[in-house]
Amino acid sequence: MLDKIKQNIQRLQGLGATYVDTRWYPFEESNNLMMWNGNLKSATSARESGVGIRVLYKGAWGFSASSDLSDLAALYDKAFDNARVAAERVTFPIRLAEKDAIQAKFESPCAVNPFEVPLADKVAFLKDMDEKLNQPGVFQRFCDMTFVRKQIVFVDSEGSHIEKIITEAFSTMQVSGLDDQGATYERSFRPSLKGDTRGWETLDRQLFSENAERIVKEMNQVRAADECPKEDRSVILLPNIMFLQTHETIGHALELDRILGYELAYAGGSFVTLDDFGKLRYGSQKLTARADATLPNSPGSFGYDDDGVPAQDNLLIDKGILVGAITGRQMVEEANARAKRQIFKGSGGANRATSFYRVPIERMTNINIDPGQDGTLDDIVSHTEKGIVLDTERSWSIGSNREQFHFGTEIGWLVEDGKITKVVRNPTYKGATLKFWNSLTAVGDRSTWQVKYVDNCGKGQPNQSMQLGHGVPVCRFDDVRIGE
Amino acid sequence: MKERILQTLSDLRKYALEKGYEVTLFYHEEDSYLMRFANSSISLNTNEHLIRLDITAYSGRKRASYELITDLGKLDEMKKGVDIAAEMVQHAQPLTYQPTVPVFAKSFSDESGFDAVLANISNEARLQYFNTAAAGLETEAVKLSGIFSSGTNIIAQVNTRSEHTQYFKTSDAQVTAVLSHSALKWEVTAEQSANKKPDLDPAALRQELAFLVEHYQADAPQQIPLGSYDIVFGTAATAEMLGFMNWIVFNGGSLKRGFSCLAEDKLGKKVFSDKFTLVDDPTRLETFPFKRDFTGIVRKPFPIFQDGVFQAFTWFQDDADEFGAKATGHTVGHKSLVLKGGDRQDVKSLPDLVKSRRDKDVLYIPFLHYMNIVNPSKGILTGSSRFGALLLKQDGSVTVPFNVRLTQSLLDIFGDKVAWLSRATVPYNSSQSYGARNPTALIVPKFVQVNDLEISHSNSSY
Repeated sequence: MLDKIKQNIQRLQGLGATYVDTRWYPFEESNNLMMWNGNLKSATSARESGVGIRVLYKGAWGFSASSDLSDLAALYDKAFDNARVAAERVTFPIRLAEKDAIQAKFESPCAVNPFEVPLADKVAFLKDMDEKLNQPGVFQRFCDMTFVRKQIVFVDSEGSHIEKIITEAFSTMQVSGLDDQGATYERSFRPSLKGDTRGWETLDRQLFSENAERIVKEMNQVRAADECPKEDRSVILLPNIMFLQTHETIGHALELDRILGYELAYAGGSFVTLDDFGKLRYGSQKLTARADATLPNSPGSFGYDDDGVPAQDNLLIDKGILVGAITGRQMVEEANARAKRQIFKGSGGANRATSFYRVPIERMTNINIDPGQDGTLDDIVSHTEKGIVLDTERSWSIGSNREQFHFGTEIGWLVEDGKITKVVRNPTYKGATLKFWNSLTAVGDRSTWQVKYVDNCGKGQPNQSMQLGHGVPVCRFDDVRIGE
Repeated sequence: MKERILQTLSDLRKYALEKGYEVTLFYHEEDSYLMRFANSSISLNTNEHLIRLDITAYSGRKRASYELITDLGKLDEMKKGVDIAAEMVQHAQPLTYQPTVPVFAKSFSDESGFDAVLANISNEARLQYFNTAAAGLETEAVKLSGIFSSGTNIIAQVNTRSEHTQYFKTSDAQVTAVLSHSALKWEVTAEQSANKKPDLDPAALRQELAFLVEHYQADAPQQIPLGSYDIVFGTAATAEMLGFMNWIVFNGGSLKRGFSCLAEDKLGKKVFSDKFTLVDDPTRLETFPFKRDFTGIVRKPFPIFQDGVFQAFTWFQDDADEFGAKATGHTVGHKSLVLKGGDRQDVKSLPDLVKSRRDKDVLYIPFLHYMNIVNPSKGILTGSSRFGALLLKQDGSVTVPFNVRLTQSLLDIFGDKVAWLSRATVPYNSSQSYGARNPTALIVPKFVQVNDLEISHSNSSY
């Protein structure tokens, strides 16, 4: 197979292709188990294999993919033909930033391969959690686990040959209950990513048990709580909502393809312009954000991206000032050329595809906020006069240029004069992105910092759903409108 | 090809029966093409040909599934998949209810939505379409983005309960064209949906774009004050909100799980404006319909709201099994929702709307971006305007507003605040291409005006 891939790459180069790469997935397997109110609604496994071919010809991309490898040459020809037609409408011929030819292997750390764990053991885990959630006040119980394992062989016309094996484990549980009017309230738990691995071993039965008890208790508190007030307060975001705030208003806003207008047909653009790099005060001095694809235990770490560029740890925002973006080889070249200055020194190694049949695009890696100097959660609460502590996303909606947002959370705790006073239900908050990040007045220390995963980040056309991570501390923002 | 697909399924069924398995087999084949534009270039030109086989095994109340991406030449691989599903089900846990294994009473085949000309449209024709649609509208600053997505979708089914098969084949095209100003950041859009080649009309698309671009180039955008507005929703915005109704208004499973804003006691009661009549109508080819559902139920027009009165919840088979309800033929990839047009005959196009008489300012919102559910029990959604909003002033003039946010209940939006719906209706293609191809469209009035809706956020820029 490898010989055929290399022969076809050479053949297309002979036809005038300036660059060709191939991602061959010998296998990608997935397994989802979902239990709802004690019913094993989903016990699903899947397996796929195939090839995706990307061809650059006269400054334009062509792509073709298939699970049928019986006529590989025809597939390469189709990708080339797609590029040939695309080359008829080019306004900025694509160039790729320099990179080294890499021969490498990467395997994500995994102590226990989840695909070697018997189905019965997985079902038993779910059943155990479901029983723990089955408590007074609980109307709906939901437990879910998803596992992915894939092998990716990347070969390009520049001499790179990279083989990766990536294993992921995602798990969650949720309860909901009704108030006396029949309105529903939820509380959920997703484990933080701890340790150095990301296999079956990350499903810690003790941790799930403890949190099952907690979320049932908190959901029942929410059911009986007063409505969230509609007013301006300080909001203290716990990691289970801070990760999404970071994801939506830093991560997506700093994807370079969005900034350059390559997602305007669907996902949207960004309020950030090329002129802003090095100058824009994105947030307060307390804000330092980075794209770090080197965390061992997160789905945002993958060894090498789908351009064949090594994973990196890059600053995005340094003490409030915008300094970097989430980048791949194509976009950094175009951005530097358009800006007529070198903003980016090379690819940030963040070009990824969700499967063999999708093309790589700029995706978040682990978009993290550095821990700060403002102590523990208790310290931050004790220094807050009028605030609300918020946890876990319930809804999220963001403007098309990521310039404004509206979030709902599962639970809120009002803070008055440095003390938590009571739980409120249906908490929401909204804001304008730059104003919000510039109102960041407290950043929790390392004790508050947690790595959260996102397993369904949508972007691109054809659509792609990507997995990534966020390491975030507890943060406080002042003068935020809540309750709308 | 159809014969080969059905023969393969028949071979797999025979294999399963010989092994004593109870299985359903769901075959999905897509031949997808997507030409994507950005910055006035073709930013990506791609195609995928994928065959998925979903095998669900049953054993009493136990159920397990195995899906593989494969091709028709790999019968042994598919048989192995059947074995895996059958092995998995032994280790599954029994459900608390008996899941239905469908019995197809007779074979069914529907290719009425397939147009070979549309399915085989060439790369060159896609490019020509966009060149026509954007002709003369692009400048150094105004750039073209968009997609031309087209393809063929085949679904075939068989199971061990019956030798009969179901076969669906359709073609589809979805076009989105966006013109945006690279410095000022405004963006306008026009879209088309096609289930046959003559539906594609690049000149009409160009006309819509040109009208919006004219206003966006002539008028300085402004931040509009917060407060109450009479709002005219365009097709995309209306379709988006109706799409959410699928989950939090009339879905039987959501009702039983506490995720619906309507309870059973609302059946037969007036819930929405008497101008609001919503039907799931599989006779409308523009919606890429399923004329039978995946359990073999014959699908006919199914009233959901009639003159604002709630007629029925829709039930997936599995939800019906779990909650003891009767399935309503909605175990399908998507419904065929049709919102009936109203009595406003004079407003067939955006120019008609702009020039129509009005006694106060009206905000036109064609598209709602990133809509999400804030509170399912109250039907509250939030989303932002995008793509060519206009503030139509009482004096007949038009200004361009920066984007605004609406956070409102569906019960309010489609309740007594509805002022009028246009008589003219259009199909709106709401297809996504996450996972397997599933061409989807709704039929909605070209415009729906709703009075006194609150704007909760107003941008000061793009």
